[in-house]
Amino acid sequence: MRKTILIAVIALVLGAAPLAAAGAPPEDQRTPDEALFREAKLLVFDKDWKGALDKIDELRGKFPASPWSGQALFYKGECLNSLGGRQREALRIYKEFIGLPAAPANLVEEAEGRIVDIAFDLYQEGEASALREIESRLGVASKVVSYYAAYKLSFVSDKKIAAKAAPVLKRIVETETDPELLDRARIALLRISPESLKSAEERAPRAVTTARTLHIRIRGAGRKEPVFSLNIPFALADLALSALDEDDKAAMRKKGYGVNKIMNELVRSKESILRIAGEDGTVFEIWID
Amino acid sequence: MKSDDEMKFFLKETEAVRDEIRRASNSVDWEALPGLIADKALAGPRRTEHVRRASGPWGWLWSLRLRPALAGLAAGLVVGAAAMYFVLRAPGGRPDAASAYHASGEFLDRAELEMARRGTLDYLEKSQYMLLDVFGSGEEGPVVPAAVRAERARDLLQRKKYLNGQLERFQMAKAKVLCDQIEVLFRELSDISEELSAAELARIKDLVEERQLLLKINLVKRELESGV
Repeated sequence: MRKTILIAVIALVLGAAPLAAAGAPPEDQRTPDEALFREAKLLVFDKDWKGALDKIDELRGKFPASPWSGQALFYKGECLNSLGGRQREALRIYKEFIGLPAAPANLVEEAEGRIVDIAFDLYQEGEASALREIESRLGVASKVVSYYAAYKLSFVSDKKIAAKAAPVLKRIVETETDPELLDRARIALLRISPESLKSAEERAPRAVTTARTLHIRIRGAGRKEPVFSLNIPFALADLALSALDEDDKAAMRKKGYGVNKIMNELVRSKESILRIAGEDGTVFEIWID
Repeated sequence: MKSDDEMKFFLKETEAVRDEIRRASNSVDWEALPGLIADKALAGPRRTEHVRRASGPWGWLWSLRLRPALAGLAAGLVVGAAAMYFVLRAPGGRPDAASAYHASGEFLDRAELEMARRGTLDYLEKSQYMLLDVFGSGEEGPVVPAAVRAERARDLLQRKKYLNGQLERFQMAKAKVLCDQIEVLFRELSDISEELSAAELARIKDLVEERQLLLKINLVKRELESGV
């Protein structure tokens, strides 16, 4: 059944309904609830949120016991979340969906993520209590949910609240191997608790290489005090060099130093300082220890 | 006449004084006299200064003979204040000795943007492989087993979650639209562990080609690679 819907949906979404119809059951063989759900999904794919919401409400109103009714609740949350101004309703619907006994696991994780996003948006609009939705997900068993909650909480401007994400983020740095997830956790920890990142890097099994620190100092012409100063884990070196100010990167490129060359020289030279003098007198100092 | 008498009187008196001068001169130790004079000359001002300092509000300390301790304390205060100044200055001011991690908010924002660019590129590349396997394969069907494909789809959905905020925040609209479109397909695929039939795959392949989804992925990838 799902496969059939998938094919029909893909075909219709991509604008080739006749081809899809050839592989899907004829319209008259579909049950009315299935047909409604299919129509609602197509409207979701077209981002016709109002139309999709009407179809979902019709499905749930007419066929409350339909096997599609539960999934439809998730898509109802999607519609409300995207309509604008109805985020609180969406939050309630996502929660209701998660509470369903037969809710598909993949959609449950999606719904949890949406709740975290909505709570963060509400916080930014001034509803500080919404952060409880994120905080309460820091300790859940699902890593997918707790990691995302911690990442999102790290953006909260109240540093005291944001710091609550530190233990989960530290756990990611200490135990996870996915490079993208690791980098996100490192940046998040740099934002809220650089000292926690330092201790996590030192405790992680790969500490021999990643616990090294990359230092970057940029001094203006004739200036002793740096205009830019950075100490971060060496694991973020490539990202850091790529994220430097465009003017600074251009000045170094003029001297023949791209990111790759700098990385190579740093690795080769070990603890000596790489000094690059820009044409305007700016001095770039980069080293690892 | 009168002047002769006066001269005689003068000489007589002088002779009397000469004896007194000679006696006084004999009583002086001419070799020790310079040292004695110097001692007396220096002794006078020191006494004056001592009296002046002792008369101040902290004069009792001098009377306790704490001058060396006070001098040490003063030196300690100066050195300590200087040390605190250097220690408590902004991190940028002590570049070579600092080892604690630190990064400015502005830099972290740029790092987030760079991560968004890289993450989206990675997401699109992996999506491309997935679509090529599912929709781009010939009649023999996908190489990747359906269960593995469903797992990969779930993984990509998780990545997309992190990208959503960044794509919106950094106004990467074109990439967002394409990633949203792919996400919809993956949400379905993540829930299907059955194998698709060859006929169904062929039809879907035609559709993907018709809509040029893979081409769109390549175009957005190129833009992201060139930093547009």
